[in-house]
Amino acid sequence: MKKLLTFVILLALLLPLAVTAQDAEPTPDVAMLGEGELNISYWNGLSGSDGVTMNEMLATFVVDNPDISVTSEIIPWNTLYAKLQAAFVAGNPPDLILMHASEVPQYASYGVVKDLGYLYESGGGWFPDEDVSAITYAGMQWEGTIYGIPLDNHGRGLWINIDHFEAAGLDPNMDQPTTFEGWVELFQQLTLDANGNNPTSDDFDVDNVVQWAYGVGNWPLADFLTLLIQHGGSMVSEDGSTITINSEAGIKALSQYHDLVYEYQVSPPAAGFDTWGAFAAGQLAVIPTGTWFRNFASTLDVNGQAWTTVQFGESPSTWFGIHTFLIPDSLEGDTLAAVERLLQWMSDSENQVYWAGSGQVPALLSAQAVLDPENYPSNIVMGQSFTDYGFLDFKSTVTQELYAALDPELDAVLNGLKSVEDALNDGAARMQAILDRAE
Amino acid sequence: MTGASARPGAGPDWRPAWLPEINLKRREEIAAWLFLTPFLIFFAVFIGRAMFAAVQMSFYDWHALRPSRPFVSFENYEELLRDDVFWFALKNTIVFTAMTVAGTTVVALAAALAVTQPVRQANFFRVLLYMPSLFSVGAVGLIWVWLLNSQFGVINYGLSFFGIRPVNWLGDPALVLPALSLTTIWWAFGFPMLIFIAGLQGIPEHLYEAARIDGANGRQLFFNITLPLLRPTILFVTVTGVIGHFQVYGQPFIMTNGGPGRSSYTVIFYFYHTAWASFRMGYGAAVAVALAVIMAVVTVVQFLVISRRVEY
Repeated sequence: MKKLLTFVILLALLLPLAVTAQDAEPTPDVAMLGEGELNISYWNGLSGSDGVTMNEMLATFVVDNPDISVTSEIIPWNTLYAKLQAAFVAGNPPDLILMHASEVPQYASYGVVKDLGYLYESGGGWFPDEDVSAITYAGMQWEGTIYGIPLDNHGRGLWINIDHFEAAGLDPNMDQPTTFEGWVELFQQLTLDANGNNPTSDDFDVDNVVQWAYGVGNWPLADFLTLLIQHGGSMVSEDGSTITINSEAGIKALSQYHDLVYEYQVSPPAAGFDTWGAFAAGQLAVIPTGTWFRNFASTLDVNGQAWTTVQFGESPSTWFGIHTFLIPDSLEGDTLAAVERLLQWMSDSENQVYWAGSGQVPALLSAQAVLDPENYPSNIVMGQSFTDYGFLDFKSTVTQELYAALDPELDAVLNGLKSVEDALNDGAARMQAILDRAE
Repeated sequence: MTGASARPGAGPDWRPAWLPEINLKRREEIAAWLFLTPFLIFFAVFIGRAMFAAVQMSFYDWHALRPSRPFVSFENYEELLRDDVFWFALKNTIVFTAMTVAGTTVVALAAALAVTQPVRQANFFRVLLYMPSLFSVGAVGLIWVWLLNSQFGVINYGLSFFGIRPVNWLGDPALVLPALSLTTIWWAFGFPMLIFIAGLQGIPEHLYEAARIDGANGRQLFFNITLPLLRPTILFVTVTGVIGHFQVYGQPFIMTNGGPGRSSYTVIFYFYHTAWASFRMGYGAAVAVALAVIMAVVTVVQFLVISRRVEY
């Protein structure tokens, strides 16, 4: 009783302290850079360490261009899209927006963003069409018009804890498995309970695991889409009219992810498990994450290394996205010219390499080619996988709405609340209704 | 006397000849309307107009940025009736509201009783207990996400001293709503506590004295005097609590993102996703209007049930 009382009192005392505990140097939400008369208001969702790199670049830009100042606002992505909607309705959007390529069709279909074809070499401008991958180039377009300037490729990959591998007698530089069975075998060796048993042992205590091999809850949506394509499936039929997540490929893909938790016991259920925190604390051997993990990983007391994403299906594939610059259709005059200068500066090969310091893979192939393997191993490993077998989001005006319908279904499966078939059938029905409504 | 006749209302001399004679009742009515006017203007411009716009919007296929907004009559409401996510979110909202209103009322009343005892530094404790109410929902959500974290949380760490294995507070569908409710009770009991303190101070002391003389013990005093005389206060606290907690959004948004699965979806959370993430303002408006109607019905029922036994 005394212990309980002490604990409760301590808890009550700690709460206000927790409130006042602040990150000493957070990324500035609003950064005023430069003092030039021409001001560019710029919104982006780079709320992680990539935002720090972006602001460093902007600070350099305004030194090189003293007549321009930049007001950079970092807003978490979900909030950014909600605020953008209100800003466009109010007729007061920012001068420059960084968003994901998957959002291009939606904003392009509303007619609120500028056709940027004239900035590409093919349209008489300066952006080198040939210096980005075909898939990146395609990602900038909607119905034959170019709306964006790509900043980077960012996507999925793994980070492994080298010490965990070596403790299990595994070579961290081994060839990655190319089958589900191979990955399961690897994960089983990397999962340990408090008594040092792994899931192949009869004595394994799943309620007392001190080291998980994998965390399915990091971003189930991207990982499911990756596995779906690896099994030869797709989210939508080729003609774009039918949702096909509940195909045989979809069921197989999600079943494998589900089985990592409930059959092979190499991953905890999705909800309530903080994969980043667990990796940082040495409780997770392999974290499915992305290019953006680089700078966080460098701050950890963990001996880590980047791998490409898992391959459970017949052929490799991995999801990636593109941070894309868009300009509101209403922007004109000197401010437009200033924004164009900023975009040209950002698209310079040297500055693209600087952007690689954020962890993301520069959009320009020429910049990717000169990345130093010593300093940018993760960018190179993952970037190569995007170029070789990466896929972008399904291109439609309702992609985010489709994802919003699918996400809770995947979460339900990975938390044991629904069967794979029920979840995919329910999700497919909801998504089909969205797709039908959009036509 | 000059001074007396110059005072408004003291005599007929101050009234200009063109102003008709107004009796006292009428004058009080005019004064009341004048006092209410600023609020009524504010209400009409910022709330009434928005409410009207929301109802209007709910009859259109209204996307904020799409130029065409076709009139769809009751289609959004028909879709709402078939939308099992909405009904599931409504069920969650009702469960959350019931737990939170009950918990908040009990904790606030207990706290009010404690800080109205004749103890030293009572005001210090009042401030201390009210403090959580000053935090923003963002701060509260982040604090409790860490406290309830299944791997690194202080609560599970404390429980481990008693041999209790880590509890997945926010990841278990059976626990997630109680966990969100617990968070909200901690955050929100301060204001009803103040209301209860005011209510307790309004109970005449002589009633307690008379009861004590008749030999009543503390329990009898509470159940036969305090609680009955606090009914108007309880009605106010529960009605405002239901209205407030029915609109819960920040806690699931920050702490669980509606998960696991949709286990912590609430109506406003669903409304946000529909209107602001999927850009379906028309359907989102239908969700909001439906919630407003449901809340109005619940409030009326509360008044009918609780106020029957209230003596003002």
